[in-house]
Amino acid sequence: MKIEKVVEKFYDGLAEHKLYGRKCKECGAIEFPPKYACNTCGYHETEWTELSGKGKLHSIILASTLNKDPWNSELKNYSYGLVELEEGVKFNATILGIRRKNAKKLREMLPLPIHPVFYEKEGFTTLFFELDEVEGIE
Amino acid sequence: MVEGKLGRFSRSVSVIGIGATPFCIIDDDPEMKGLTEGEFFGHAALMAMADAGLEPRDIDYFYHGAANPKFFNFAATPNMQVAEWFGMRGKGSVHHSEACCSGYVGLEEAVKDVASGAHDIVLSGCVEMACGLPVTHKPAHIRKPISLEDVLPDLEAIMDRAYTRALGAGHIGQDDWIDLYRNEYHLTEEQIDEVLNKMSYDGRRAAALNPLAMLRTPFEELAKNVGMDDPMEYLRSSYNPKTTQYLRGTGNAPSADGAACVIVCPTEMAHKFKQKPIEVLGIGASCLELMQPHNEKEITKEAARQVYEATGLSPDDIDLLLVNDFVLPSQLLAAEEVGYLPKGEGWKWVMEGRTAFDGDRPINPHGGRTSYGHAYGASGMADVYEAVLQLRGQAGPRQVKNNPKTAMLRGFGGGQNCRIPILRTVD
Ligand SMILES: [Zn+2]
Repeated sequence: MKIEKVVEKFYDGLAEHKLYGRKCKECGAIEFPPKYACNTCGYHETEWTELSGKGKLHSIILASTLNKDPWNSELKNYSYGLVELEEGVKFNATILGIRRKNAKKLREMLPLPIHPVFYEKEGFTTLFFELDEVEGIE
Repeated sequence: MVEGKLGRFSRSVSVIGIGATPFCIIDDDPEMKGLTEGEFFGHAALMAMADAGLEPRDIDYFYHGAANPKFFNFAATPNMQVAEWFGMRGKGSVHHSEACCSGYVGLEEAVKDVASGAHDIVLSGCVEMACGLPVTHKPAHIRKPISLEDVLPDLEAIMDRAYTRALGAGHIGQDDWIDLYRNEYHLTEEQIDEVLNKMSYDGRRAAALNPLAMLRTPFEELAKNVGMDDPMEYLRSSYNPKTTQYLRGTGNAPSADGAACVIVCPTEMAHKFKQKPIEVLGIGASCLELMQPHNEKEITKEAARQVYEATGLSPDDIDLLLVNDFVLPSQLLAAEEVGYLPKGEGWKWVMEGRTAFDGDRPINPHGGRTSYGHAYGASGMADVYEAVLQLRGQAGPRQVKNNPKTAMLRGFGGGQNCRIPILRTVD
C-alpha cells in the first residue's frame, strides 16, 4: 500500500481555488478537510472528491480579547462560525466580514449562505469563508 | 463521529488515598517560592500515601500527568524526573499528557491498570507549575515570570497542525456552547450574564471555605473595596470586564501552580487501609478535535452515554457533580448534558442557588476552576480529590448537604478530550 499525500494535495488544491475532500467508499460521507478513513461510519477507505464550496453559516462567534487567533492578527473583521457545505460536511471555520456592529442583525437571519475565500498566507493558501451578499447589511 | 463501547472492569477498583497541594502562585508566597515540580508532585504523592496509610515501598506503579511538560518544565520524561521525590526509584511509571483533561485520564489509566490485574496498588498524580517558565541552564527552583503573551501562542499546541491551526478553525470554543444554548432556549445576553455571574458568586462562596483554593476573597468584600454594596452589581460592572462576547474576567480560570494525587487498589483489598474506600464504577471517554462542531457538547454527551450504559446508573442516581469549568459556562451546560439538571431549565436552578455547594443539586463544591484556580494538567486530579473528600464526608465547612453516595465528574480539556467517571461510596 502506497502512503498517499493528502495534506499537501489539499493545500495545493486551495492554491488553485479548489476544495478537495475524501468520500467514504462505503457510506458516501465526505471527510473535509480530507483524511484517509471515514469518521462518520468508521470504514477504512475514502477516495478524492471535489467540493463546490457553497454552504451555510449556522453560528456567529465573535473574536474578542481572549479568543482571538494569533495566526490571523492581520485580519480586521472576522468571526468564527459553524459552516455546513452543501455536500453535508460541518466544521468550525473563520468567517470574514462580520463585525460586532452587524453581528446582532446577522445572527437573527441564520443560517446564511456563504462562499469560500482563498486567502494567501506566506508559503501557503488557506481557506476562510465569507457571507454571500445579504440584503440590508453592509 | 463514531460511537464507542465501554464494558465493566474485570475487577472492582477503589480510591484509597488522596493528596493535593494548594492551587496558588508560588512566587506570591515566600513560604512557597522556589518549590519545584518534583517537590509539588512528591508532596501530593506522600500526602496520598499518608492518607491511605501506605509507604512508598507499597506502591507498585505510578502515572504522571501534565498538560505541557516541555513548555512549563522543559522536560520530556517528567515521570522519571519526579519519581525519587516519593521513593519510587526503579519502579515502573509512565507520563501522559491530555492538556486540561490529564487528571481524569490519570484516574482512568490507574483504574484500568488495577482492574486488569497488572498491579495492585497504583498511584496516579498530576502536576503543573503553570505560573512560571523554566530558565535555560538554571536549576528548577529558579524560574521566570510568565505572561499571557507566552501562553496564548502555546495554546495552539492543542490544535491539529495539518488543518485546524492554518484554517483558523480552533478558536471558537469559549463561547460556542453557551451561544448554542442561548439560541436554543431563547435567553438574552443579559440573562446569560446574570447566570454566569451567579455561578461566579456561588463558586467564590465555596472557595472562601476551601484552604486549597486560589481566589478566596468573597465578592462582597471585593465590591465593598470599590464602594459597592451589592456583589452582583460588582460582577456585572466594568471592574469585571468582558473578555469574550459572553465571558467576563470571572468566567475564566486563573492559572495556578498545583499538584494532586490519588492511590487506587482492588476494592476487595481496600478495607485494609485507613480510609473509607470510594469505588470507581466506570469512566466514559470521548474525544473530538477542535475543528469539529460543538465538540465539547458532543463528547460530553457521548462519554456520559457510555458510563451510564456501563454502570446501569441514571442521572437520578448522581448526588454530586464536578465539572472542569475553566470556561465557566461549562458548569451549567455539562450539568444539563449529563442529565444532572433538566435541559433548558438548569440556569433557573443556578439562579435559585440550588447548584451551590449548600444547595440540593451541588456542583463544584471546591469553588470551581474560576475560583479554585487552574493548574491545567493537575486540575482534573484536584477534582477527583474533592469528589473523594465529599463522598467520605470530610470536606469540612464546604461539605455538601445532601449526604452524597454517588458523584460524577465531567473531565474535559484541550484538544478536546472528555472523561466522565462515576465514583460511589462502598457500603
Ligand atoms: Zn463512511
